[in-house]
Amino acid sequence: MELSAEVQEGLQLCGDSAQISDSAFNFLLKAACNTLLHGRQRDRGVLDDPSVSQSDPSVLKQVFASLTTLFLEAAKHNADSTNTSSLLEDSKMSPDRIEAFNNVYMSNKIELQSVLSSTGSGFPHVVDVDWRLDYYMKNNHLDHVNEPTYLVTLKTEEPGSSQLKDVQFACTVEQLQDMVGKLKDACKSMEKASQS
Amino acid sequence: MLLVLADEHKEHLGFLNEVDVEVVREFCRIAMEFIRSGPNPKLYQSAAQKLSVASETVQHGVEGLMFLLTEAARYMISEIDFQDSIMTLGFSEDLRSLLLQLYLDNRTEIRTILSEMSMDLPHYHNLEWRLEVTVASRTLRHQVTPRLMMKLHTQDSGEKDVQVLQTDPVNLLHMTRVLEGALAEMKSTHCRRIVRNIK
Repeated sequence: MELSAEVQEGLQLCGDSAQISDSAFNFLLKAACNTLLHGRQRDRGVLDDPSVSQSDPSVLKQVFASLTTLFLEAAKHNADSTNTSSLLEDSKMSPDRIEAFNNVYMSNKIELQSVLSSTGSGFPHVVDVDWRLDYYMKNNHLDHVNEPTYLVTLKTEEPGSSQLKDVQFACTVEQLQDMVGKLKDACKSMEKASQS
Repeated sequence: MLLVLADEHKEHLGFLNEVDVEVVREFCRIAMEFIRSGPNPKLYQSAAQKLSVASETVQHGVEGLMFLLTEAARYMISEIDFQDSIMTLGFSEDLRSLLLQLYLDNRTEIRTILSEMSMDLPHYHNLEWRLEVTVASRTLRHQVTPRLMMKLHTQDSGEKDVQVLQTDPVNLLHMTRVLEGALAEMKSTHCRRIVRNIK
């Protein structure tokens, strides 16, 4: 895990109690983590909060950016508290603050990683399936068709979009049997792979 | 079920009574060609010249036959009902048995052609899958994320379409279970009763 000079400088500022008070530090830790997990709070800016009003805005900005980067990089490389501790020690941070950072980091690491794993590119991800069974009787050219037909809708999620998209197709009983047979094969392979 | 022929249709078919059975046989062949690959006006003209009648009369005769065949095939008219339906045309017995034979020989083919013309929805054609484990990405190193990649092939009126989809183990199991349930529904008493009663 490598951090840029700017981020390292921000972390050093972060450890400096003359620049950032203890309460401001604790607030910034939680704000950085929450912003990563839940997105930006729209009603008010993080740096307008009264608990950080005594600090210089440009310092606050750099500190906030550095903490956010550290959370992300640590989660991305699956760093544990020993890794982050030694990194923060290098930035001359006090043991109290290092512990506070590790507490927030370790308790949110899994959530941070799940955000990271769903960020990026990917194919539409199937999350649900709807079906309807119709008995196809006749059409404008032909009577006595009498064939059961399934209408299947796969609900998919795409990275970067909060809405589900539909993939729709029809199939006969035989075609659905074929599809379910293949999905069952896939389930079995998945099970085998997870046991080995 | 009997076919009810319109007066105009009867009139057009009436022409077949005035010519030889051999000529009707030829008309039958042309009518089947019409159903398979569309009309051929040149044939009407040459036939009309040979028989020295208006080419419209020939055209009406062929089209009348074609319509008789497609309507009978459409409703899956039984052998006896077909005979009874053409009784009203006043044809000779030879002609009637020729038409019956024509209908019985071509019924399946005509139904296939009609079903190809029917409205089609994009339908399932094939599903390919492969099992993968994502081990790293730009945003997250050191991961072990099992993933099933799927390629869904669908067809819509002969046009093929391919979609690439993915899913995770939990959703794969869910999807399989839901679709198995859908298949099982086909065997339920309710569905079986409907299938039995719609004939």
